[in-house]
Amino acid sequence: MGSVRIEHLNKVFNGNTALEDVNLEIREGEFFALLGPSGCGKTTTMRCVAGFETPTSGKIYIGDKDVSNIPANQRNCGMVFQSYALFPHLSVFENVAYSLNIRRFYQGGMGTKIATLAHLLNSKLGKLDRETEKKVRDSLDFVELGHLADRLPGQLSGGQQQRVALARALVMEPAVLLMDEPLSNLDKKLRNVMRVTIRQIQQKVGITTIFVTHDQEEAMSMADRVAVMHGGKLVQVDTPTALYSNPVSRFVADFVGSSNILQGSVKETNDVGETLIEIGGNRLLRSSFPAKKKDVEVIIRPESVRLFTGDATDSTDNILDGTIELSTYLGPTIRYDVKVGDLQFEVDTIFEAGNPLLEPGTKVKLEIDPSRVVII
Amino acid sequence: MKKRLSLRFDGFDVLKWIIYLFFFVFLIIPLFSILLVSFTGEPVNLFGSLTNEKILSSTLKKLSNVSVEAYTSIFTGGSGYFEALVNSLKLGVGVALLVTIVVLPIAYAFARTKMPFKPFFAAICTIPLIMPTFISSYAFVLMFGKTGWVNHIYQALGGEGVLFDVQSMMGIVLVQVFFFFPYALWPMVAAFKICDVTLEEASQNLGAKSWYTFMRVTLPLAMPGIISSMLLIFTVSFSDFGTPIILAPKDLNLIVVEAYREIAGFFNWAGSAVLTIIMLIVAAFFFWLQRMVIKGKEYGTISGKPTKQKLNDHKGAVSVLTAYTALVMLVPLLAVGSVFLSSVATTWGHHALPDGYTLDHYKTIFSTSGKNIMNSMLLAGGTLVISVIISTFVSYFVVRRGASGLDFVSSIPLIVPGIALGIALIQTFNTAPLHLTGTALLLIIAYTIRRMPYMIRSTMSSMMAIRKDIEEAAVSLGASSLVAAITVIGPLMLPGIAAGAILVFVTVIKEASISILLAPTDWAPMSLAVFQNLLRGEYYTACAMAILIIVIVVILQALAKKITKDQLY
Repeated sequence: MGSVRIEHLNKVFNGNTALEDVNLEIREGEFFALLGPSGCGKTTTMRCVAGFETPTSGKIYIGDKDVSNIPANQRNCGMVFQSYALFPHLSVFENVAYSLNIRRFYQGGMGTKIATLAHLLNSKLGKLDRETEKKVRDSLDFVELGHLADRLPGQLSGGQQQRVALARALVMEPAVLLMDEPLSNLDKKLRNVMRVTIRQIQQKVGITTIFVTHDQEEAMSMADRVAVMHGGKLVQVDTPTALYSNPVSRFVADFVGSSNILQGSVKETNDVGETLIEIGGNRLLRSSFPAKKKDVEVIIRPESVRLFTGDATDSTDNILDGTIELSTYLGPTIRYDVKVGDLQFEVDTIFEAGNPLLEPGTKVKLEIDPSRVVII
Repeated sequence: MKKRLSLRFDGFDVLKWIIYLFFFVFLIIPLFSILLVSFTGEPVNLFGSLTNEKILSSTLKKLSNVSVEAYTSIFTGGSGYFEALVNSLKLGVGVALLVTIVVLPIAYAFARTKMPFKPFFAAICTIPLIMPTFISSYAFVLMFGKTGWVNHIYQALGGEGVLFDVQSMMGIVLVQVFFFFPYALWPMVAAFKICDVTLEEASQNLGAKSWYTFMRVTLPLAMPGIISSMLLIFTVSFSDFGTPIILAPKDLNLIVVEAYREIAGFFNWAGSAVLTIIMLIVAAFFFWLQRMVIKGKEYGTISGKPTKQKLNDHKGAVSVLTAYTALVMLVPLLAVGSVFLSSVATTWGHHALPDGYTLDHYKTIFSTSGKNIMNSMLLAGGTLVISVIISTFVSYFVVRRGASGLDFVSSIPLIVPGIALGIALIQTFNTAPLHLTGTALLLIIAYTIRRMPYMIRSTMSSMMAIRKDIEEAAVSLGASSLVAAITVIGPLMLPGIAAGAILVFVTVIKEASISILLAPTDWAPMSLAVFQNLLRGEYYTACAMAILIIVIVVILQALAKKITKDQLY
């Protein structure tokens, strides 16, 4: 119960392939992010899990149950929408109570059915049973909104609406929680707060969560594992740290944080198992990664480069000579654009008070640890 | 489960085709058959041709006699149709130009100045919209007629005779100008509001004087909006029936009046068919022209952000504009006042004020015309029910299932003048198998079709306002589509439907052309009663009934407004 398995999922919209052979296994209790640019298929994947889209082919399991042919309203997936999709005409309390009322409507006898329907149409009609009432109260208290139960959604701030949407999805005790870009409508500060809030709530409830986002920072900071999607396909599924330090493709490297991407050709493998790569102008770089072919791409994160002036070191190990072209002060760090021959490097260094920024034109040396020269 | 689902979809499809059939039978076929009649010169029974072989063969025989004679004879003279068309075109153009000139300063004042009393002026602007034009026309007779109170004052001040002859082209133009200007006012206000103030500031920054800025920047930017509302006014004026029927003198031919006389007076089917087709072509052409003007000239939508306006607070300019606006607004206000005064007068005409006051006319309408009031309510109620059902489903099909064909068909009535629709329906349903002319049903259908585009806009916008994910949220919370529709979509759409329905009710109550043309005696609504009372010379009771119509309309419109306001959660 609670895990999600997607097997050979394909989706074609009017002849356009939206998803191509997507296979995923999401563990129980895991916070799983689907990351990618718009149109990459991440939302479609989630909507297939929710049951709003019918896959062209493939199977979806929630727990051990094949849900591929189960209608959306019986899949027991709690969903938080990008726009929150709160019912504007119902109070916060009634929004959260909705799923419980619906359950009562389907499960109850004729009398309960009529009473519940009346209550759904006008909350002044018919009373909720004590158990439902308590569940809703608890759930609202859980997201710290108990005091706003009688407000209409329109009277709440964005962050509060977000928490109502969360409470509404969680109160039905779903097998899976689906979140579609839930933070994109919030301003930056609130987004950072809600990141923590959502993560904490998810941990407390321990619910399997699928989180769709185009923001790599969001995915990396919140998720246990991240699936990067591109053009309807899965590109890499990994933990955030592995994704960052060991991207499998140029796309992932580029999408997850900024990086220097260089063309190179493999010269040889030395006796300690390091690969020697020529990156233009007879410059050689050593990498601890093995190369599978001759022409490769090399990825170096800006913060993996150590920058120093003059002859502060006597080592010539993996060192490139360059000239600073532009220095940008970014607060905690400084970004230097460095020209090495006809190559362009971005280098991040930590800003230390008292140290002035290096002027453009300054001759510098760049040192790169072989373990951080990633070959794809 | 799967089987039930596909059955439901079939049900929706059947519904869609029923709606198509409705428009086909009561809109497309009538317009088509009137086109045939205009060529054959004889009545054509299309529905009969489908059921009866004899009728079919006679129809085919008639069709073999097709000629464009009816159209060529317009120009060779004799019938007076050509003159009528020219007069109507003149009227439309004149009114459109005059309205633009009259409204331009008011629109500017509303949009770009700190004019005081804006809400008050805006409230007065609704008066012309709630008054049926034939009542406004009679109000002008009360004011400017030979024994009108304005002329009494004029004579008291030393003037000779009358200010102007109200029963003339001039009278018609003035009534239309003062009662159609709100149609142009709000679009023009919007046009002035879209001009980004930064553009004006840029112009001033470049050294332009403010009048130069107005002429070279503000006005050109507002131009598409101005021209489009000008074309709208033309169409409204060209199709208006209420004003000319009251004010057109015998020697002034106007196409709407001519068409009415041909069908109601002489039963000249061919003639009225030709006139109907001409009206349709002109109205459709100007409607198309208006669309073309708006298209591609939407400067205003360049930046999605609402632009901030700097309001002109030049004291002199504002007070001149305020005085001018007040003066223009005064005319409809006085018109309503005149109708009211007439409704409580014993007799009026000897002096500027009535000779005495009485409530007898109201007693009379409630005792003798109770049936008309009842008829209006029943007809409007029937129209409301049909309109709500059709428009709710049409908007559902259009918004949620992309049925653009239905959208197109249901907006055809926008270009069909009331009198043209009336004539087309009368001719088509005059004989078996679908003999509906002279029944309340055809009247209700005519009202429904005529008001359908407006009702659909209203339901469609409230349907579009409900995002798809609201529905999905309900489904993800366990509700089936049907339960989601009942518990979430329904309650959210209800205010929009209710407001639209009330507006349909209102327009049916004040509708003149269709009522006059189609209403059977047993089913005469209030507007027809007013009209007949005016023809019979029972002016005071006509005025009392007119006031009653206005009161009902005002109350219902306020109700609709309140409902739509409450809708904004």
